[in-house]
Parts: sequence; structure tokens; C-alpha cells
Amino acid sequence: MSGALPVAIGNYLGLSTAIFFIGVAGVLLRRNPLVMLMSIELMWNAANLLFLAYARVWLNNAGHIFAFLVITVAAAEAAIGLAIIVTVFRTRANVDVDEVHALRG
Amino acid sequence: MHYPLLLAIWLLPLAGAILCWFLGPQLKGAAGWLACAMLGLSFVATMLSWSSGTQHVAGHEGAHQLLGSWLPGFDFGLLLDPLSLIWATIITGVGFLIHLYSVGYMHGDRAFARFFAYMNFFVFAMLTLVLSDNFIGLLVGWGLVGLASYFLIGFWFDRPSAVAAARKAFVINVVGDVGIMLAIFILFANLHSLSFADVFAGVGSLSTGTLLAVCAFLFVGAAAKSAQVPLHTWLPDAMEGPTPVSALIHAATMVTAGVYLIARCAPLWSHSSGAQLLVGTIGGLTALAGAILGTAQWDIKRILAYSTMSQIGYMIMGVGVGAYQGGVAHFFTHAFFKAQLFLASGLVIHALANEQDVRRMGGLAKKLPFAFVAMGTGVLAICGIPPFSGFFSKDQVIYGTLAHGHPWLYAVGILTAGITAYYMCRLLFVTFFGEYRGDVDPSYLGIRHPELAGTAAHEAAPSTHDHAPAWIMSVPVGILIVPTITIGFLMAGGDRSWWSRFFAAQFPAGHVPATAISELQTTLIVLAVVVAGIGIAVWRYATRTAQDDAVERLRAESVHMPAILSNAFYFDAALDMLFVRSSQLLGTFFGRTLDPQVIDGAVREAAWSAGKLGTIVRWFQTGLLRTYAFLIVVGAACFIAYYALAGGMH
Amino acid sequence: MTALWWLIAIVLIATAVWTISASKPVYSVVALLAHFLALAVSYIMLSAEFLGVIQIVIYVGAILVLFVFVIALLSSGVASFSVGPNRMKKGVWPAGIAVAVAFGLMTWKLAGVVASPKVGGSLSTVPGTAGAFGSVADFGKALFTTYLLPFEITAFVLMVAVIGVILLAGDRSVHDPSPKRAALVRREMREAILRGGEE
Repeated sequence: MSGALPVAIGNYLGLSTAIFFIGVAGVLLRRNPLVMLMSIELMWNAANLLFLAYARVWLNNAGHIFAFLVITVAAAEAAIGLAIIVTVFRTRANVDVDEVHALRG
Repeated sequence: MHYPLLLAIWLLPLAGAILCWFLGPQLKGAAGWLACAMLGLSFVATMLSWSSGTQHVAGHEGAHQLLGSWLPGFDFGLLLDPLSLIWATIITGVGFLIHLYSVGYMHGDRAFARFFAYMNFFVFAMLTLVLSDNFIGLLVGWGLVGLASYFLIGFWFDRPSAVAAARKAFVINVVGDVGIMLAIFILFANLHSLSFADVFAGVGSLSTGTLLAVCAFLFVGAAAKSAQVPLHTWLPDAMEGPTPVSALIHAATMVTAGVYLIARCAPLWSHSSGAQLLVGTIGGLTALAGAILGTAQWDIKRILAYSTMSQIGYMIMGVGVGAYQGGVAHFFTHAFFKAQLFLASGLVIHALANEQDVRRMGGLAKKLPFAFVAMGTGVLAICGIPPFSGFFSKDQVIYGTLAHGHPWLYAVGILTAGITAYYMCRLLFVTFFGEYRGDVDPSYLGIRHPELAGTAAHEAAPSTHDHAPAWIMSVPVGILIVPTITIGFLMAGGDRSWWSRFFAAQFPAGHVPATAISELQTTLIVLAVVVAGIGIAVWRYATRTAQDDAVERLRAESVHMPAILSNAFYFDAALDMLFVRSSQLLGTFFGRTLDPQVIDGAVREAAWSAGKLGTIVRWFQTGLLRTYAFLIVVGAACFIAYYALAGGMH
Repeated sequence: MTALWWLIAIVLIATAVWTISASKPVYSVVALLAHFLALAVSYIMLSAEFLGVIQIVIYVGAILVLFVFVIALLSSGVASFSVGPNRMKKGVWPAGIAVAVAFGLMTWKLAGVVASPKVGGSLSTVPGTAGAFGSVADFGKALFTTYLLPFEITAFVLMVAVIGVILLAGDRSVHDPSPKRAALVRREMREAILRGGEE
């Protein structure tokens, strides 16, 4: 696939921002912790998309490397996040982050 | 620069004070003898120093002992020149006699040793004052004397009136201390030295205003210590102390410290006519006021207190206008006859079991003949009857005011002499003539508060009425009769007298202009006025009819006493209104308003605001995960907005 | 090509929205799966072939599987949840709009960024050519030479994650007391309660 990008770089920017913002909304508005984690994965991937788009524009490998590292860290984070969810919600009746509010001032 | 005998004079009383204080419980009665011995040795040392004290050595007067150097060129030392020698003689000599007297007077008192510790300490402090050769030593002595006076006035501290009197005396003395300190500041700022020699040498370099300020401040100190108007109100109340205290401190020595100060600073005063006018006027006013108030008193010690105030007024007037020899002469004679009067009155008080109101006395000439004779000589001396001692010195003072150009003070002096004669003879007649009135109902005599009379009964058995005084009390009184009668002859003979020659180098005579009234005529005028005063007193209290009607006359006089006299010209009320009330108001303001509302309020408000801040911040701690996530997003958005708008992209 | 890109874009947005708004978590997982596959296509369109494959292998093959397992473990992933009341304040909406504005600003500003110099390999017309930009060889060369240190650190991070997971959600019974000890403790507590009011 040689040649220029299929569309202008600005399109990739917009798309990436949109996916990222959808992920943010998911984190803030959903109360199921699993869906929150999935929304976080959306945010990771939006960033990845942008990294790779610019790597293509500038023909710079660093974007690929960084995207790879992002995937790795996202995997680690998802694993730990799920472990926490399992631990916290194993003994509860409902899976709702709003019910975990004991540390309030 | 080296005269160790001065150290002995100065430190022996201190040793006595320390020993009596720390070994009091062990010494018990011997404390009195120890104190007398120490003071006696000090007196002997003073007598031995007479020849050295009056010598002239290479322009330096007297004997000098260096104590130590503070800075290079600024030394502390003791000086014994004619002036301080006269004062030291009185302090140690009369003091010694009064100490002997006290052994008898304070016998049986439960704080016997403490009394003598304080008395010796007082003597040490007074010696510090008069023997110092610099202003700082003088100030130290000044303060210590005030402290000793506080201790001794409030000696019987379970009497609230004594405690109040001691406090009043101390506070007024502190006002004087401040005056002296201010004068010292000004002197040091201008002359950079505080030893007498340097200051007096540099007098010429001070401007008129500066010199007047220095003299005025020094006089504030002198007025406070010597009970001059308007700082005199502490002296009548100071009679709450034991009679020996009144004799030593408030008659012979401490109250004369002001006179000493002015006489010592004669070079300063000689160059400032404004200061001379100020001091002379205040002295004259005090003499007159003291005499007038003395006619209205009924407590035997208060009469003597006001007479002390009046006589000190004479001395201040004398040294103020420049008649230094006259003023110091009057101090010398006054020390003897005033101590005599106080000790004799102490004999009376002691014999009557602490009765001090003269209205309840009377007829004591037959019961206490020795006291009558002693008091009589004292009264004659203070009235100025020749050949008693007071005659010579008082004339010198009165004539001195005219010779130095103050005719009004001359008139005041003469008038006061007459009033003095009147009220002192009144004291003598009411106390010793007529019938004994001790068993008359007090209200018949016009006494409104009989329970306030006299000091508390501090002796074991107050029931004995006519017990004769112990010999230890009579001997000093007897000894004092001699100088009361004879010491005046030292001053007889004008410029050829022993006194004039003694002080010739210290107080150069200078040019004395011719006066309208010669000295001889002055003497005769004063004598005439004095006789008139005595005559009035005789007519009112000593005639046959007066003695028969004594109860009614005294009652009438008590009841019809003008309020202005019984309230001592309202000085106490004025000072109370001016200073005490305003201080109390200030204190109330600070205590009720400023402290709880402003200072505590500030602290309270700080705490409240901290709590409020916490309450506000607590709003963020919802415990909800989503809230925190939201806040993170908001923070990130802020950062982004900043970079986007402020252009930090590159 | 452009039409394909727009199709992929629509799929991405639609699946993202479905992920966050599905009523059951399992539906969210399925939507996320579609999202990841579309992303992989998008990466390949950007000549990042290696990363496209990695995306599928790791994200879909590992992470989504993990999600499914956890949903099953919690056993309420199928049932409806929403038990507690919504506790977020109402003031979130205006702030949310402000957030959107901020991100929009960022996007707008980013559009004008200057390009950085080329460092990587050259493009090739044939897909799968060894050494071309985005190929395995190209990526591997960069990873094991220039970026060796981040690679090692990432390995460390993964190890820490594994340990953390084991500690957090691991076998709890090794920390529990033995049954005999547990019975002893229970009996002592009962006796203490019965004795209770004597002190």
C-alpha cells in the first residue's frame, strides 16, 4: 500500500478524537465496572489509531513501537483491573461501582 | 583610688542582712544584736574615715575606692567626700541608735530576724546611694532603697492597709526612678560618661534646654523619693510600718535622698536658673502644704509624717535655690530631732498598747515623764527655738532663699515656720497635758472609726497599760537628746562656722548680693512668728480652761474639720482619678473586649474558617468512582485548553 | 480506498457507541470485538501490517477472552443490574459539554502541527515484502535495537501485572487457617460471648 493516506490526516484526527470521547463518556456514564474497563480499552485504541496514522504520514517507526507498547500495557492493565473487579465484586450482590462508596468524606 | 575602709562601711550592713536572713531561725533574738553590731562597726569605720573623707588630694575631694571597670574609661567606685561623709555619718550613726531601739520595740514579734535583715539591707542600700561616685550606682541604690521601704512598710503583711501602703509607696517611687533614668539617658547621650566627676566637668557643654530637662527629670525622682507635692501621698500612709521604720526611713534617711541628689548635682543646678526656680517653688509649696495638713491630723505618727514632709520641703527649697549649705545643715539637724520625735512617740505608743490617736491620750506628762522630756526637746528643736539645733539650720534656709533672690519663697518659709510651731506644740499639749482620756468613749472625742486606729496588736499581752519602756528603748532616745539640743552650734557663726569651713570646697559660696533684710533681722522675724504660733497653740490647748474642756474642744475640732483638710487637699482623689481609674479602664478594656473578642476571636475565626474550608473541600469526597474519574477528565481538559489556547504546542 | 475508509469509520463509531450503551455486558463484549476487527483493517490500510495482526491476536484473542471469563465468573453479566440509584450529581452535564469543547480545541490545534522527519524504512508496493515499512522485519529491527530498553521494561511490567493478578484474585484458601484451627477459634469466640457480661 504505497502512496498517500486514503484521506487527509485531519480525518484520522477527528475519528480518533470521536472514539476517545465515546470511551470517556462510557467511563463516566456506565455503572457496570466491566463496561467501564471496556470503555477504557476504547480510549487506548483511539490513541493507537492516531499513533499509527502519524507514523504512516511521517514514515517513522517510533509510532509502531509505541503502539505496540500501548497494547502491551493495556493488556496488563486490563488483567489487573479485572482481578480487582473480581475481588471486590465476588462477594457482593450487585455489580455497580456506585455501591462501592464507603470512602466518602 | 584605693581606700578599703569604704568597703567596710559599705558591705558590713549587707553582711548583717544576709546573716540575719539566712540564719534567722537559728539566731532568734540574737539577730537584733548581730544587726546592731554590724551597723555599729560600720559607724566606727565611718568615724575613722573622717580625716580621709575631708582631705583634698590633687584636686580630688575625699577618699575614693574603685570597685570595678565596666568599659575602658568608665569605672564604678565609691566616693567619700564631705557631702557623702555627712550622709554616711547620719545613716550609720542614727541608724545604729534606731537599731538598738528596735531590739526593744520589736521584742516578741514573730518575724524578729527578718526585720533586722530588712533594716540592715536598707542601710546597705542607702549607703550605696550616697557613696557611689557615678549615676548608675546612685540609681541602683535609689531602687534598692525603694525596695527596702516596700519590705519594711509592709512588714506586718497580714494587715491589708499595710500592704496597700507599701504598694503605693513603691509605685510612686518607681515614677521617680523613671525620672532619674530619663535624666541619665540624656546625660549619657550628651556627655558619654556617667561618673560625677566627668558629668560635672562637662556641664558647660550642655545647652540650657538640655540642662533644664536633666534637672527636671532628676527632680521628678527627688520629688518621688522625698515626698514632695504632688508625689507625696505615699508618706502619710507609710506610717503603717513599725515606728523604728518610720524613724529611720521616713524621717532621717530615705526621704532625704532627694536632698542628697540635688546637693550632689549642685554644679548642674547652679547653671540652670529655671531648675532652681522649679525646685525651690515645689519645695516651698510642699513645706506650706505639709504644715497646713499637719494641723488637721489626729494620729501621732501622721502628724510627724506631715511634719517630715514639710521639713523636707524646707531642705529641698534650700538646696533648690542654691543655699546648699543651709539645706544640708537642715538635713543634719532634722535627722536627729525627727528621729528623736519618732522614737519618743514610739515610747508613748508602746506604753499605751498601740494607741496612736492623740485624742485618746492626754496627761502623759506625769505617767511618762521621760517620753515627755524627749518629745519636748524634739518639739523645741523643730520649732526653731534657740539654742536648739533647728534654730540655726532653719534660719540658714530661710535667709538663703532671700539671698538667692526668691522673696516669695522667703515669705512662704517664714509663714511655714509659724504654722510648724503651732501644730507641733498642739501635738505636745494634746498628748501630754490635761487628763488622760484613754477611758473616754471614742465617739465623745469625735472619733468616727475607732477600730481603724493604731496598728494591730502584735505583742503577746496587750492588756498592760502603763508598763515602763525597756531600757534598750530609752537609751537611744536619751542619747539623741544631746545632738538635738547641741548640734546646731556647728553651724553658728555664718561664714566662720565649722559647717561653712567643712563645705567650703564642696559648695563654693559665690557672690551673695546684699539683701533688703539682713540675716539678723530674718532671725528676729522668724522667732516672732514662731512665738506667735506657740502662743496660739497654748491658747487653744494648754491653758487651764482648755485642759478642763479638752473633751468638748477636741470633739468640736474633729467634727468641724473642713473636708479639704481631712481629705489632704484631695491629692489622693486626684491621683486616683487620673492614673488609677484610667489604668483600670484600660485593663478592663483589654480584659473584656480586646482579649476575648479580638485576639481570641481571631483564633476562633481561624479555626472556624479551617473547618469551613474542610467542609467545602469535603464536597469533592463523594466516594464515587465516577466522580473522581470525572474530575480527572476535567483536569485533563483544563490542561488541554491551556495548551491549545496559549499556544504551547511547539 | 476512500469509500472503504469511510465504511470502516462508520463501523468504528457505531460499535463504540454500542459498546458503551449495551444493556448487557456480553453485548458490549461482542460490539468491542467488532470494533477491534475494524481497527485491525484500519491499521492494515495504514501499512502497519504487523500491528494489525498483533491487534487481533492480543486484543481479541487475549483481552476480550479475559473479559468473557470474568463476566461468567461474576455471573450477573447476563442478568440486569442497575440496583443502586444513580449518585452522580446533575451538574455533570454542563461540565461534560465543556470537556467536549476542550477536546475539540485540541483536535483543531493538532491539525496544524508541523511534520517530523522521516526515519523509518521505505514503503513498498507489494504487501508483505520483508524490510518494508510496517513489516515484521522492520518492526523487529527497531524494537530490538533502538527501543530495546522500553521492550525490557515492558516485559517487567507484564511480570508485575501477572504477580499482581495472582495476589489480588488468587487462591485465598492458602491464607485461611486450617479447619482444626478455625473450629478452635470459633469455639473460643462463642465461649467469650457467653461469658460476656462477667467483666
